[in-house]
Amino acid sequence: MDALKIEKISKRFGDFYAVKNLSLKIPEGTIYSLLGPNGAGKTTTIRMVMNIIIPDEGSIQVLNEKMDDKMKNRVGYLPEDRGLYPKMRVGELLLFFAELKDIRGQEARNRIDSWLERFDLANWKFKKVEELSRGMQQKIQFIATMIHQPDLIILDEPFSGLDPVNTKLLKDIMLEMKNQGRTIIFSTHRMEQVEMISDNICLINKAEMVLEGKLSDIKQQYGKNTVILDYDGDASFIRTLPDVEKIDDYGKFMEIKMKERSDPQDLLNKSVGKIRINKFEVREPTLNAIFIDKVGESNAQDNIGH
Amino acid sequence: MRKIISVIKREYIQIVRTKGFIIGTILGPVLMAAFIVVPILVQFVSVDKQEKIGVVDLSSEVFKELDKKLDQELKDGNRRYILQEFKIKEDLGLLLEDLNKKVLAKELTAYIYIPENISEGEIAEYISEHVSDFDKQGNIGQALSSIIIEKRLRGEGLDPEKIGQYMKPVQLDTKKVTTRGVERDAGGTFMISFVLVLILYMTVIFYGQIILRGVIEEKSSRVVEIVLSSLKPFQLMAGKILGIAAVGFTQYAIWALFGIAATKYSGNVVSRFFPAAANFPIPTIPAYIFIYFIVFFILGYFLYGTMYAGIGSLVNNEKEAQHLVMPVTMFLVVPIMLMMFVIKSPDSSVSVILSLIPFFAPILMLLRISVLLPPFPQIAASIVLLILTTILMIWISAKIYRVGILMYGKRPSFAEIIKWMRYR
Repeated sequence: MDALKIEKISKRFGDFYAVKNLSLKIPEGTIYSLLGPNGAGKTTTIRMVMNIIIPDEGSIQVLNEKMDDKMKNRVGYLPEDRGLYPKMRVGELLLFFAELKDIRGQEARNRIDSWLERFDLANWKFKKVEELSRGMQQKIQFIATMIHQPDLIILDEPFSGLDPVNTKLLKDIMLEMKNQGRTIIFSTHRMEQVEMISDNICLINKAEMVLEGKLSDIKQQYGKNTVILDYDGDASFIRTLPDVEKIDDYGKFMEIKMKERSDPQDLLNKSVGKIRINKFEVREPTLNAIFIDKVGESNAQDNIGH
Repeated sequence: MRKIISVIKREYIQIVRTKGFIIGTILGPVLMAAFIVVPILVQFVSVDKQEKIGVVDLSSEVFKELDKKLDQELKDGNRRYILQEFKIKEDLGLLLEDLNKKVLAKELTAYIYIPENISEGEIAEYISEHVSDFDKQGNIGQALSSIIIEKRLRGEGLDPEKIGQYMKPVQLDTKKVTTRGVERDAGGTFMISFVLVLILYMTVIFYGQIILRGVIEEKSSRVVEIVLSSLKPFQLMAGKILGIAAVGFTQYAIWALFGIAATKYSGNVVSRFFPAAANFPIPTIPAYIFIYFIVFFILGYFLYGTMYAGIGSLVNNEKEAQHLVMPVTMFLVVPIMLMMFVIKSPDSSVSVILSLIPFFAPILMLLRISVLLPPFPQIAASIVLLILTTILMIWISAKIYRVGILMYGKRPSFAEIIKWMRYR
């Protein structure tokens, strides 16, 4: 069964296509990431799934049904633009969000207490939201997304602005949700997270899908033509080597794309003695490299460049 | 539906709990009472003081009569005005200077200068530190006038006995004719209706602003999209407007209880302190005016409330909202400025047309109803037009709100807003 099935949806704002002819299938019980530079159409796609904006063409099926108000109770959504009512108390705010998902009364209160306990926020239940730190507010937003135990969880840029502790917390929860058989869709710019937890990915650029499929399959397609080099010293000579097609240099770390049918061993031999090599690994390209490759250097520079 | 109720509940509890609401609800009637009671109180209280007034009588025949005429009494039965005559010793100028000093030294509250030829129309003067006690000036002016007129009439050879009869002022009693017959009305009923119209105006603006601020808060705090993952934009907008309406009704109910209590018990209280006020009839509002008030408040609230909600969704902060709110607020201010005209000629065709314009109807039709009950078809027409306009406004606002609430950044142009409305 597919948790989400999108068929040929398009959305135009005036003359501008936000999403064009996009089709997706997301199997149940997987973690799926939507990748793409800013303005590629990720948020618009997600908003169409959530029925917040209506596609001009195409159809969307969520959990094998058409998205409507009843279905919204089975979906948890964390928008990219997210905030809370600053003047409300944490407990009553979560109760309000639970009620909007038709979880009421004692049941809602029990769930709120256990989530607050888990996130170490039990002492903050009667405090006003505006008294909470940003990190705490983000935790509250996650609780609001999960409080109704949704079958499908959609997170738009969930990692943006999170510190490492909360990043780990969120990643753990995502994996836990997956193990419970729930489906998670999230959009992000940060490739490390995607590589670690995603089963499937979809890359969108300029309103259209460029790449889709199982992460492992995609990487295999690219083959083992990439060298990861961890070094000290001046490695600028590598740029001039004939077998090297493309370099992404971070100063102490370098991702090198080799030309087809070249042998990485040559590269290693030529490097010995010139630089200090801490690590030399031949592998598939990183997702970051694939992303940049697909989206195009110029297009991606502003958006990803770390 | 249960979700809308959750939104209504949230809005209601959040607002009713604020200090602003609690203070406003208590302060409202207190201020209202203050507006009515304080002037009465001041009048009665200020009377409670004897005042020394100097008189310079150059005609030499007015002082005695004036002393007799200004016999107003204080509550304790003493005379209110103690008159003292000052004669010229050397020079008029010196005397007046001396009196000015006495006034400044508070030995006298005022002095009256009566010229020699006052009967021939020479002007008398009242000199005091402050000249805003119209009650006292009125007393003195009336007394002087009647003295001089009597004197002139005597001069014409009229029987002094009869002059008193001739001088008797005309009593004017105002009555109001309604379908139930002729009633005595000292203007109190009208005053209360007038106050009702002002209350309607103020609460619609006040609650409209609360809606506006609420929508902006939801948008600027970025909470709105989380909420919209559970319900439709229209449900959120409707819940907000209904929740704030419930707050308005709560406030009205509290005020009405105050009012009922006040009319029930204030009579006793007032008459204990000011026996003179007891024969002033306590005005009552006919039930039909009250019902129309509720009808026009509800319709006016929804008409303006949805417009404020639509505007709130277009802007990023309250400062930006001010420009857009201006024209809406003008729609409310214009009928207030036209009130005097409508009161004077409630059934002129201009008044009829003005009161049929939906944006003005809540204020002007209610005003016409309280001044001079218009024919029912006119009232019905204004209500129907108002309902249709409100429905249209809800439709337009909902379309704008749906898109605007999720748009951040530059405020959209008018053309863009029109484009939004055409989005599916």
